[in-house]
Amino acid sequence: MKKIIIGDQIVKSFGEGEEKRRVLGGVSACINEGEFVAVMGPSGSGKSTLLFALSGTDGIDGGKVMVDGKDISEIGETELSDLRRSKMGFVFQQPTMLKNLNILDNIILPSMRGNRKNAAKMTETARALMKRVGIAELEKRDITQVSGGQLQRAGICRALMNSPKVIFGDEPTGALNSQTAQEIMDLFSEINAEGTAVMLVTHDAKVAARAERILFMNDGTIASELTLPKFDGSNPDDRIEKVTVKMREIGI
Amino acid sequence: MYYRLIRNDIARSKLITLTTMIFVAAAAMLVSLAVILVVNLSGAINTLMMKAETPHFMQMHTGDIDTGRLAEFAERNGNVDEFQVLEFLNMDGAQIRLGDTSLADSVQDNGFSVQSEKFDYLLDLNGNVIHVSDGGLYVPLSYMKDNSTKVGDQAVISGKEFTVAGFLRDSQMNSTLSSSKRFLVSSKDYAEMKDLGSTEYLIEFRLKDLSALGAFETAYASAGLEANGPTITYPLFKMINAISDGMMIGVILLVSLLVVAIALMCIRFTLLAKIEDDYREIGVMKAIGLRISDIKKIYLAKYAAVAAAGSILGFGLSFVFKGMLLENIRLYMGESEHSSWAGAFGIIGILVVFLAIIGYVSGVLRRFRRISPAEAIRFGTSQEKAAGAKRFSLSGNRLLSTNIFLGVKDVLARKKLYATMLAVLMISAFIIIVPQNLHNTISSKGFSQYMGIGDAEMRMDLQQTDRITEKAAEIAQTLNDDRDILQYVVLATKTFQAKTKDGSEERIKVELGDHSIFPVKYSEGRAPAAADEIALSALNASELGTKVGEIITLVVGGQDKNLTVSGIYSDITNGGKTAKAVFTDQSADVMWYVICAELTDPALIGGKVAEYADRFSYAKVSDIDEFVAQTFGSTMSSVGKASKSAIVVALVIMVLVTLLFMKLLVAKDRYSISVMKAFGFTKADIQAQYVSRSAFVLIVGIVLGTLLANTLGERLAGAVISSFGASTFQFTVNPFSAYLLSPLMMIGSVLIATLIGTSGAGQIKISENIKG
Repeated sequence: MKKIIIGDQIVKSFGEGEEKRRVLGGVSACINEGEFVAVMGPSGSGKSTLLFALSGTDGIDGGKVMVDGKDISEIGETELSDLRRSKMGFVFQQPTMLKNLNILDNIILPSMRGNRKNAAKMTETARALMKRVGIAELEKRDITQVSGGQLQRAGICRALMNSPKVIFGDEPTGALNSQTAQEIMDLFSEINAEGTAVMLVTHDAKVAARAERILFMNDGTIASELTLPKFDGSNPDDRIEKVTVKMREIGI
Repeated sequence: MYYRLIRNDIARSKLITLTTMIFVAAAAMLVSLAVILVVNLSGAINTLMMKAETPHFMQMHTGDIDTGRLAEFAERNGNVDEFQVLEFLNMDGAQIRLGDTSLADSVQDNGFSVQSEKFDYLLDLNGNVIHVSDGGLYVPLSYMKDNSTKVGDQAVISGKEFTVAGFLRDSQMNSTLSSSKRFLVSSKDYAEMKDLGSTEYLIEFRLKDLSALGAFETAYASAGLEANGPTITYPLFKMINAISDGMMIGVILLVSLLVVAIALMCIRFTLLAKIEDDYREIGVMKAIGLRISDIKKIYLAKYAAVAAAGSILGFGLSFVFKGMLLENIRLYMGESEHSSWAGAFGIIGILVVFLAIIGYVSGVLRRFRRISPAEAIRFGTSQEKAAGAKRFSLSGNRLLSTNIFLGVKDVLARKKLYATMLAVLMISAFIIIVPQNLHNTISSKGFSQYMGIGDAEMRMDLQQTDRITEKAAEIAQTLNDDRDILQYVVLATKTFQAKTKDGSEERIKVELGDHSIFPVKYSEGRAPAAADEIALSALNASELGTKVGEIITLVVGGQDKNLTVSGIYSDITNGGKTAKAVFTDQSADVMWYVICAELTDPALIGGKVAEYADRFSYAKVSDIDEFVAQTFGSTMSSVGKASKSAIVVALVIMVLVTLLFMKLLVAKDRYSISVMKAFGFTKADIQAQYVSRSAFVLIVGIVLGTLLANTLGERLAGAVISSFGASTFQFTVNPFSAYLLSPLMMIGSVLIATLIGTSGAGQIKISENIKG
């Protein structure tokens, strides 16, 4: 299987002087084409930092990250931006939307950079996506006029706008109730089934159980890894059980 | 706790705090200066008028005088403390030569008098009463100020030689705005000169009770005593003395108001931005039960500290600069007795600025009341939405590039915030355009026509020469025979007595000749064509109280001559008081001739001027453009300088304020910037958005500023110009500089400031601002 993103011996520290703290201590991880990966671990274990490092949204202090065969430390800021825009999508825990724009505009924003000629086409794509995730009627609303679940769906639409190869999710269901979280996860599974790779950072065993590969992090390293068959809706409880057993086994 | 809060906050926003403090310091300095000047000016005027014993009531009079009757009136009126009649020997400026300078071009009525015995003393520069010896001449201060002469110079008055012994302060006529100037000579010299000029009388009274001045004026008028001339009272003397420096103080006050406004706008902007930033915290504080006044204190404390530091700095600076501005007051009026009070009043002025700032901050903070804690905690932002921005959507945008769209959209969505920047940019555009248009207007050819100079190409001036009429005829003959001369005109200026409506007489200068050849522009009516017509300059018309179509009376050859006013024109030559007529007169002496000519080929002008200057050495021959440059040169160059410094000041304000606003916006917009960067927007994209914001605000600012400059600015400039004698005023705009060059300069400065101010946008880390 082709690897889209390869992280090799990634080192990352925060702070300076005496307060300097190593968050990633030489972590190697990859994302394969069409794969669903989950990253689990306690707070401060470095899961979000790993996600930021692999997606090139934050620089690293050691090791390297290859995206589509290119070492991202060797390309310029502009090319990196282009890469993020064309190959990756992001969904965050808090709905990261610009408050000056309505829902539809927020969704088409990343695909509008530098090409306003596509506005009609992009609007059409966005509407199709919104219809699919069930928020078609909200396009003219302000971001403060809709619920958290609806915002998160809009966030997923935005991440899908440029048909990315991989979607990164940092606790995408962390701020939602269980019913809504379930629905959002169904959406991620659906997208993954269509061939888009997904990498989610989560605390939640239910969320992780959707993945086919789960990385367990502790103290800035990958403590363990669990592989499951691709999720097809069958035996959900069985999968969750396997994840929780593994968590207990490594003590997180 | 406050100390720590303030220190942390200032450390986090050094540039912004510094800029705000600089504006506060500048505002405090200007206010303090204005106050110090006011205190010194009023003190110095009082001291001067006390030492000189300025008359409380003065009646100027020309013609016969009955001193006995006046003395009797003074005797009988219980309020009169002292009474005297002084003589003032009027002499034409052409008869006065100080060192190398002739006063022929002087717009003042220069005259001579002896030191008075009872009151109304002429003082030396130390404030002492002058005793002049024979052959000595004391010269009014204003001729020292304009470097006309210096102590020890040889002076020639109508052929009689004097030595300039010193300069005098005249509590009545010190100001350049008062139209007469008294020179002081000894009684012996005065007696010898008496026949060389015309005598005017100054009938002067000191009263026991100044508050009864009104009653005294009525008593004098109803007694039917000598009154052929203006009446001036003590309060008016005081005002004339104050007006020159008073205007400077007025300008300083105006500028300080502007700077205070800019300082307040900076504060408003930073404060609004800070509130937006801290929205959630403010909500939390409200929710846990802190009183609004407690929350306000936290914010007020910082601005109180900044305002206090700025005010103290400004007060210090005002002491550095006050000497420079007090120079003129000290020279004309001497030291003030109460100058020590000035500092105290300066502190009061600064306190007012300080309190205004605190009051303003407190006012801005009133919006805390409207913050709903629940909303603030839930959304972390105000839910108020600006109308108008909503209709403008990215999905419907086909016109603008995405970055420009986002920039413009942000401005529309946060109008209140950008209104501050808009106001500053608008004011700056106004400051740049008005002086520039004024300069352009007064340097344009059309303006000199408006100002009493006809549209000729060559001009010859003949004055102070014997056989003047013969010489003028000689030149006219030569012009007549010269094939290169297309047309010419000879204009003779004579003075006549004009009778005013209230019966008094006034000397006016009338230019006689054909005024249809090189006409000036008439604001009303037309040039005089018939022998019974006269055109008046705007100042003369208002002084004589006449309008076009009315009749005025001149005394010509001892006879009254009625003339119909055919037109009124603007004039700033000869103090703005001139007249034009076509009648012929042999009775009065010609004061000077002006001969104007137009060439068949304008390119020949240089050669022609040289040729005529060579041939008629007694005439002053000039190219009209050069003449205009000489006459208005100093005014034009000082307005030019003012306009250049205005451009520099305004651009500096623009750059500072833009830099400040952009730094603040980037800090505020960290989150949005991170979101956009996460979705693939580059640093260049982000900067393009900020540039679009500034450019959008700036373009609106320039348009509004230009509109304001062409309406309000034109009126303001017109008010200034009319004080020189112009009646109507319109800007002559140089479109290249006003509508292209200036906007380009403003755009350039603002864009550079924006790029520098937003350079930090590239360093914003996505991971630090987006919570996973």
